[in-house]
Amino acid sequence: MIKIENVSKVYKNGTHALNNINLFIKSGEFVYITGSTGSGKSTLIKLLNGEEIPTKGLVEVNKVNVGILKHNKVPLYRRNIGVVFQDYRLLKSKTVYENVAYALEVVDKKPEEIISRVREVLKLVGLNDKANSFPDQLSGGQQQRVAIARAIANKPKILIADEPTGNLDPKMSDEIITLLEKINIEEKTTILMVTHDFIIVKKRPKRTISLEQGHITRDMIFKGVKNV
Amino acid sequence: MFRRFKRHLKEGILGVFRHAGLSFSSISAVMITLLLISLFLIITTNLQKVSEKIEGSLKISVLVKYENESEADLKRIREEISKIYGVVNITHHTKEEEYQYYIDTYFEEQKELFKSYEDSNPFHESFMVEIQDARMLEEISVHILGIEGVFDTNYGGVSSRKLVEILNNIRIIGLALVISLCSLAIYLVYNTIKITISARADEIWIMRNVGARNGYVTAPFLVEGVIIGIIGSLIPVLLTIFGYIYLYKQTEGYIISELFSLIQPLPYVIELSLILVGTGILVGFVGSFLSVNKYLRLRR
Repeated sequence: MIKIENVSKVYKNGTHALNNINLFIKSGEFVYITGSTGSGKSTLIKLLNGEEIPTKGLVEVNKVNVGILKHNKVPLYRRNIGVVFQDYRLLKSKTVYENVAYALEVVDKKPEEIISRVREVLKLVGLNDKANSFPDQLSGGQQQRVAIARAIANKPKILIADEPTGNLDPKMSDEIITLLEKINIEEKTTILMVTHDFIIVKKRPKRTISLEQGHITRDMIFKGVKNV
Repeated sequence: MFRRFKRHLKEGILGVFRHAGLSFSSISAVMITLLLISLFLIITTNLQKVSEKIEGSLKISVLVKYENESEADLKRIREEISKIYGVVNITHHTKEEEYQYYIDTYFEEQKELFKSYEDSNPFHESFMVEIQDARMLEEISVHILGIEGVFDTNYGGVSSRKLVEILNNIRIIGLALVISLCSLAIYLVYNTIKITISARADEIWIMRNVGARNGYVTAPFLVEGVIIGIIGSLIPVLLTIFGYIYLYKQTEGYIISELFSLIQPLPYVIELSLILVGTGILVGFVGSFLSVNKYLRLRR
């Protein structure tokens, strides 16, 4: 599903963000991506999201060569990829319901379709009763749930969560991981979760790809079981 | 489709009011620009009409030498003049007619004093040559002077040519002024839209991330620019319509003399209004288009 072959990314300022990396992620996998600041994690997400194009190599997602994707095709491509960030990025002037609905409105979904899908995802993330609340009335964990609901509203095949637990306490972090696992199973969504939190990685062992200075230094399932 | 249009319109209107101060400055700039365009158009189109009138009646007076006043010479000179490119019509005036015209025009009261000149008429046989274009006056005049038997040529066109020159200068200065003001208005709209874009950065980010088409993301900003243009054109349109009709009524359609007659208000003011609204829309659209392209299309 995600195929990355001999990919390098060099920015205009000369920064080598990724150096000849190879990666294959199957459909329906839940993968952690770890690495320190500047290791190339963000660049990897941008390449998958179609925000950047590789300097060299192939980035293929669902059989789409992202590197040669035309400018006007990028929006359609992005409908298959949901993104969640550490800072939630919710619209403060809109309610929980409106925040989620917004993601469907802007891709021209029909009103009746929006109503049923928003209800569905709010139920999935456990925020049915908060539909009319505003983001500021919610806890950090709840806000992240709204962000996740919005990211999966369009039924993307891949969900990229960039440090989704970065601002949360351990209990809330745990709840978010549980939710992501639920989405992974129930919606059959491939999950790529970028994290610094090794407690989570050890507590919920999954395939973990480690990046350092633009290289993949490790690709394994914790508990020492080597994957590649 | 209609739902989408409604949404863009709503967002566009909201955008105008979200930054009322900035929108107001853009609207004012569009308004001033359009008012000056209106003034410029009214002056130039009316002057154009006057100059067309003058140009349409441009004539060269050709005086024949005393020694060439024979029928044969007059016929030859007339034929040679008629061969010159740009000559439309030639009328012959005898020296007697010229004398009589002079006396009648200038010395009505003292006709008797000039009786003595009747026998030794100092006037020349002459031709009144009508030409096609004011710009050909000098060239044709020089050409006629070269014909054997021609004493001199006169054309009252110097002043009308000056008018044409003044008109051209007004056009150039006006055009430069309009272009500068349009650029300023475009720049102000550009900045207003830039601020709206930055105020809506979160929404834009979400739209981009969930896969909204570029057109969907950019449309509200373009609508906002167009709305600024339309609002900016309202006052100039009203002032043009009512101001021009008022001016026409007050002057009864003439300024100074019949030569300087004003263009009839209808459908003239309607045409001017359409030009003003069209220019307002264009200025608003171009300003927002440039801003949207600069600030929304930087990234994929």
